[in-house]
Amino acid sequence: MSVLALDQVRIRNDVDGREIVRGVSFTLEPGGVVGIVGESGSGKTITCRAALGILPEHFRIAGGRIDLDGHDVATLTPKQWTGLRGSTISAVFQDPASYLNPSLTVGSQVAEVVRVKLGLRRRAARLHTIELLAAVRLGRSVFDQFPHELSGGMLQRSLIAAAIAAEPRVLIADEATTALDVTVQAEILDLLADLRDDTGLALVVVSHDLAVVAQFCDEVLVMRDGEVVEQGPVEKILYHPEHEYTQLLIAEHESYGLERYLVSS
Amino acid sequence: MIRRILQLPSGRIAVGILGFIVLLAAIGPFLAPYDPLEGGADILAGPSGAHWLGTDYLGRDVVSRLLDGSRISVLGSIQVSLVALVAGVIPGILSVYLGAVFEWVTLRLADTLIALPFLVFAVAVTALLGNGIPQAMFTVGILISPLFFRVSRAATLSVARSPYVEAAIIAGASVGWVVRRHVWVKVLPPIAVALANTTGIGFVVVSSLTFLGIGVQPPAPTWGGVLAADLGYLSFRPWAPLVPTALIMATVWACNSLADAIRDVTGEAGRALLLKRSADVRARA
Amino acid sequence: MKGLLSGLVRTIAIFVPVFLVATFVTFALRALSGLSPAHLQLGESATPETVAKIEHEWGLDRPFLTQYFDWFSQVLKGDLGVSWFNGADISRLLFEGAIISLSVAGLALIIGVVFGFGFGVLAAARRTTWVDRAITGFMTFISVMPSFVVGIALVVVFAVALGWFPSAGYIPAERGFGVWLAHLVLPAVALSFDTVSDVARQLRSGLVAAYRENYVTGAIVRGLSPRRIFFRHVLRNGMGPALTVLGMKFPNLLGGAVVTESIFGMPGFGQFAADSAQRGDVPAVQGVLVVSVVLVVVFNLLVNVILVRVTPASARGV
Repeated sequence: MSVLALDQVRIRNDVDGREIVRGVSFTLEPGGVVGIVGESGSGKTITCRAALGILPEHFRIAGGRIDLDGHDVATLTPKQWTGLRGSTISAVFQDPASYLNPSLTVGSQVAEVVRVKLGLRRRAARLHTIELLAAVRLGRSVFDQFPHELSGGMLQRSLIAAAIAAEPRVLIADEATTALDVTVQAEILDLLADLRDDTGLALVVVSHDLAVVAQFCDEVLVMRDGEVVEQGPVEKILYHPEHEYTQLLIAEHESYGLERYLVSS
Repeated sequence: MIRRILQLPSGRIAVGILGFIVLLAAIGPFLAPYDPLEGGADILAGPSGAHWLGTDYLGRDVVSRLLDGSRISVLGSIQVSLVALVAGVIPGILSVYLGAVFEWVTLRLADTLIALPFLVFAVAVTALLGNGIPQAMFTVGILISPLFFRVSRAATLSVARSPYVEAAIIAGASVGWVVRRHVWVKVLPPIAVALANTTGIGFVVVSSLTFLGIGVQPPAPTWGGVLAADLGYLSFRPWAPLVPTALIMATVWACNSLADAIRDVTGEAGRALLLKRSADVRARA
Repeated sequence: MKGLLSGLVRTIAIFVPVFLVATFVTFALRALSGLSPAHLQLGESATPETVAKIEHEWGLDRPFLTQYFDWFSQVLKGDLGVSWFNGADISRLLFEGAIISLSVAGLALIIGVVFGFGFGVLAAARRTTWVDRAITGFMTFISVMPSFVVGIALVVVFAVALGWFPSAGYIPAERGFGVWLAHLVLPAVALSFDTVSDVARQLRSGLVAAYRENYVTGAIVRGLSPRRIFFRHVLRNGMGPALTVLGMKFPNLLGGAVVTESIFGMPGFGQFAADSAQRGDVPAVQGVLVVSVVLVVVFNLLVNVILVRVTPASARGV
């Protein structure tokens, strides 16, 4: 059974009446990876936020259906949402530094999730948190450090630790590697891939960068102006793109990417 | 900037009220229908055609006393803001340019002054240095000058560290030219905000002092004095305190709203700069 | 702990120069005022000889700096000298007055914290609704009410018309806690309006800004409850400005005592200041100023300690 399924989802901004997202569908199985590519403003992030139940004010799902682990999200109460977030679906975003409370140590924020969602006592939560930090390849010294004392890559690792602390079935990585150094970017992607292999975590990888998505997605959606212009298995999208926008994305990647220099030299 | 302030409803009302009050101070004493110091046989009278707001316990016309008393409030509050302006802005800007020693001294001094309860000092200085509102206002102005010191220093710092000023200095511009050409533009809006706020503080201080009877010789009319006099005869004229109260509150409100309006039209940059300070700018007795 | 310590060191580093400058200015007031105990004691009958004699008795004919260091070393020992007016020990008079004023200021501070936080939290929780607009409007209204206006209104309504509270005077706590408190309520409320409105407005804007931060989104996504998010994440980061304002309010609570104590007839610190100033009792006025500086600085020290403990981020200036 799928853990996350979107069926013809449409999202409307009630202020100007515009539809920001028009008809997005995909199905995510346990251990599966769906990628969403597109430039900023294409509706990728809003789609993810709808799946997390955190649409901004004045935005609402105007059509279609989102099923999260067997629940139709339209019927969920705020309390039920709180119960599902963290333990069924979670997310990490761009700019990791801003997603941690600057006044609390990193460890206490990861441990908070462990205590609240898993019901562990203080001491047990601390031990479990240190295990989680180890799982994202962070030392135990990070536990007592404040967010401003860590690098971007370490912050994103701690956020992943916090996101998987309550053992969710789906993790949304919304531009999670953007703005990180290239080497760090690769490490984070490797970490996500390992988590999927080890725990059967399903992933939604959102990026404007085709290379990130191509690395380990099963299915790819190409979005532009709120519409899915092309959708299919990653090999098909990369090697046999049908829509001209997808072709453009790939062509740009080829002409500005490293490949050009490799070929010519 | 002035036009944009007037486009805001609150800005229009605030400017209207302040204009009215300043006009009162300028020509009010000439408009007064009676001598504000001369009593009549008709004491504690209610409102009538002859005395619009009635008469006080000595039979003096209340309208005339309020009109005549507006001058001392307006001059006093303007004095507070101007003293604070001069005593704050100049060291504020210079603290960025004159080196570490001057910077340290002015910063400590600013911390000192703002920490002092200015009303206590105003009372003390008024009594010790001759019983007058100008002395008190001068003291209050000095004590709240750190408000100007901080905003002008912060704005100057942000300008001094910006690339275009560096470019100007590398290009050989003098310090004086940089201040005139680049610093003023950034410094002026927050200073205008502080000016409006300190004027409001000034009004409250003048009203408080005159209410207590400090800084003025008894027969002289003041808003605070009229209010205090009305209080003794509440059973005769229970509505009377409302008039001077409304005058004082409307003026203070107008000053604060004008400050907010300036902040709003000069944009987020000015707002961020003042966010931390707006609190103590509002500080009053 | 490191932050706490450096906060303390910084506050003390500010305190010392503040204290030195303030005491010097305070002491210079006498020289500037040209007042002397002779005029106070002899009035119109003073002759140059008697004035000189009395000034000599008080040691006022010595060089200015000698007098200053003499006075300053006494101040450090807690001795503020004796009043020109009646020869009473100023330290003792001020101590008695300060207990009254600090009782009122303390209660006003409690009212300011409780209602300021209450209104601020409510407005932020119901932001952009009519509740928020009503609270914001009310806060603006009470912020422009000078404390003497509030005081008068309170006396008229709660003391004269309703008779719930005494209209004036002060009863020491030894004579009964209830009576003591009853006498404090109205002046404290009058004094607190300004604090309530400023704390509420700062807290509201601080909380609203904190709610927009990404770490709140992060906490939501991790499945934390709204209540937990508010107390542990939003309040912690959003209350910094409100606490800072609270710290800066204390001088005003002390200064406001001059006005409220006059309205409510309380023989406190402010009344003592006003009376001494009008009598020209310079040592008493100097004592008032020194004590208020010390009180203000000690209070700021406390606020800084709290600030560093509660929101280390805002103390770092994040």
